[in-house]
Amino acid sequence: MSDKEEREISRIKEVESTNLARAEIRDEVIETKKAVEKDNELLANRVHQKFKDYNIKSFDIVGAIGAGKTALLEKIAEKLSSQYRILVICGDITTRVDADRIEKYKAETVQINTGRECALNAYHIHQIIKNKDLNNYDLVFIENVGNLICPSDFILGTDKRLIVVSTTEGEWVVEKHPLLFKMSDIAVINKIDLKERLGTDVDKMISDAKKINPKIEVITTSAKTGENIEKLMNLMGL
Amino acid sequence: MKEELIKIEELIGNFDDIEKSDIKDLMQRLFSKLGNRLENYVGDYPTFIEPVYLEDNVKIGDDVLIGPNVYIGANSEIQDYVEMSNTIIFENVIIGENFKLENCVVAKNSSLKFKNLDVKNSVLIGEANSIDELQSKQF
Repeated sequence: MSDKEEREISRIKEVESTNLARAEIRDEVIETKKAVEKDNELLANRVHQKFKDYNIKSFDIVGAIGAGKTALLEKIAEKLSSQYRILVICGDITTRVDADRIEKYKAETVQINTGRECALNAYHIHQIIKNKDLNNYDLVFIENVGNLICPSDFILGTDKRLIVVSTTEGEWVVEKHPLLFKMSDIAVINKIDLKERLGTDVDKMISDAKKINPKIEVITTSAKTGENIEKLMNLMGL
Repeated sequence: MKEELIKIEELIGNFDDIEKSDIKDLMQRLFSKLGNRLENYVGDYPTFIEPVYLEDNVKIGDDVLIGPNVYIGANSEIQDYVEMSNTIIFENVIIGENFKLENCVVAKNSSLKFKNLDVKNSVLIGEANSIDELQSKQF
């Protein structure tokens, strides 16, 4: 394969579309995509086994920017950091704003700035845990990059995945993003304190989530008022 | 951090004795103290896993993954598709395209202008325009 072709494959991988591949390299692009998916899965299994070996409970938290992922983690860290040793891995395109917020509640944080990548993958997590002494942690939370699309491509090897949406995103947000709801264990509908003012149809959001994934647990919360945070922690087994 | 960097630089000056040196311990000590300094690079949105410390005017190419535990000295250039973790790059270094460095030290003014290298636990030094010209020592 020439350098130019290699570059082309890598560019296409980046936009994640085989439709853009020229006919003569289409099969290689498809094989590359399959290999990347398989490698991610293998690494995710390794990550999961590591967490299990050290009795660490682990959670991947996905959701759009502004849904309240960090605010929920602040509340959880505030309640649990005196009993558990917590590591929070924060994924963002840039900045360490979220990690700085969570650190105030005595959880250790690692920030990953993904640059142009729109989701964390198992390799990122593997790189972090192989450089940590996992004896030092009881709980690991991974706050994924804020969006409801890309994280569906990469499992991370956590025990559970939480998807966080909020009343401010409108009642259609669930049915518009079925894949991530299918792949999640708990759906959190946050900012429930704003429900009346916004007139969001939360019942529709709940029934859409159940329709997409009958096994998913759905809970409404307010990270601002603290409503149902204890219940959410019970659902998470904490 | 500066103290460890000076000691590591002294150690790699004795290139032939690197295997016997305590470079691994020194690197670990450095990484345990490493802060984050990310805001001053020139380039296009790489991925950083902290801690990563970049001195001034570091150039970073496309699709690069840096960290955790990476220090890069001033005026060094990291070309496209590079990945590095637990690695120290001193100043005025060029790292070629698609290098994968894990637990490595690259001496100052090294110019590694070729593609595709995958090394671990090594000191790299000097000028090389191909892999055959590369001077490296494992530790």
